[in-house]
Amino acid sequence: MFELRFFEIYRSEEYLLLLIEGIGVSTALTIGAGAMGFSLAFILAALNYWKVPILGFLAACYIDFIRNTPLIVQLFFFAFGLPALIGYVWPFWCHALLALTINFSGYFAEILRSGYASTAVGQLEAAISLNLSRTLTFFKVILPQTIIKMFPSLSSQFIFIFLTTGVISEIGVTDLTHAGIFIDSRTFRSFEVFITLSIIYIVLALILKAIVEIIFRKTLGNRS
Amino acid sequence: MDGFISVFGEPHGIIVGQLIWATQYTIYLSAIAFLGGGLFGSLITFFRIIPSKTLNIISYTYTWLFQSLPLLMLLFLLGLGIPKLFEQDIDPWIAATVALILFTSAYLSEVWRGAIVAIPQSQWEAAKALNLNFVQTLRFIILPQAVKFSVAPTIGFLIQIIKGTSLCYIIGFQDLMLIGKRWANSPVQGSEPFIIFPIMALLYFCLCYPLARLAKHIEKKTIM
Repeated sequence: MFELRFFEIYRSEEYLLLLIEGIGVSTALTIGAGAMGFSLAFILAALNYWKVPILGFLAACYIDFIRNTPLIVQLFFFAFGLPALIGYVWPFWCHALLALTINFSGYFAEILRSGYASTAVGQLEAAISLNLSRTLTFFKVILPQTIIKMFPSLSSQFIFIFLTTGVISEIGVTDLTHAGIFIDSRTFRSFEVFITLSIIYIVLALILKAIVEIIFRKTLGNRS
Repeated sequence: MDGFISVFGEPHGIIVGQLIWATQYTIYLSAIAFLGGGLFGSLITFFRIIPSKTLNIISYTYTWLFQSLPLLMLLFLLGLGIPKLFEQDIDPWIAATVALILFTSAYLSEVWRGAIVAIPQSQWEAAKALNLNFVQTLRFIILPQAVKFSVAPTIGFLIQIIKGTSLCYIIGFQDLMLIGKRWANSPVQGSEPFIIFPIMALLYFCLCYPLARLAKHIEKKTIM
């Protein structure tokens, strides 16, 4: 009735190289955007936490807007809308990196914000009684505790966004999904190609999760 | 449609009208996915907590698999892979619905299982002492308490579904995303990408933001 011909994919050196390139591009963009997005999120959440006039409100609007619109619309805006506005086209992967960074920052900022809000009052009072400045309280008391408490949410959000990065293939970034679509268009073995891709995505997600966990343990984990 | 034209003028009125018209399919698909995924997800949840090792393992594997599988891959597999494998066309409606139901049921069952597991073990023991069987305990003791805590995250996940439907255009599902992208690619004056994509983002935002507010409101109420 039907036959599975996986060997058509893995026997061809060209396809394997494409897949490996795709793995590299997908993980590199996710990790890069994750790191940049986290830094941006940290600033946004801090603005919101300190209730900085105007900027704090703008940060809240930004977080809500990013969280309530699909990644792919954001991506298309940064890939096609923005170049038309500013009249300058970067390489595809730069647009993808920008869109992913902004997407990550929105989600991470929301997690950090709820983390800051849940820091115990007693901790703040203790910091005041030790005569710590507001900045020092933030960096030494609130932030480490928030990251420790919110680490599971942050890491699962990171993996969730990694699993949606396939959409960047839609703007021509040669990521894993792009490699899959290309191989599919050559071999017409859609089922086998996308099963292979799914397995690669699942394995990569597991590896990324382990890496994030190790980084966390090395830096902050011993405090908790 | 005429109303939009009279408000926004010739090209923009038609564009806005068509985008809003296409939004209804996004809503239908989200609703079907939510209902189907909810029904199927509750069955999976039941299998996860039922005292039977085999069913536990099967349902756990199911949730794990569809939570780790990118939605995009699921769509490609159902929309391209399976039709090619069996040489039979699948309607985009069916492929999109099935993919979203698999995706939704895995995530929702995880949320609901979490809510059920959070109920203290002593409740189960007390029910056993009252000679209630498993189904009775679940029906009269556990569920009334667990439902309260799962409403907010369930509504929160509905937002993920709405955003997830935006990927279905890849397999040819006619929704807001597909119509919007078609307009953005068209050479019509006034349908430049930097106009179309923000309008689309705004429409998605209008669908998602009220739900986000509702989820937050309910969450606050249940914690109090």
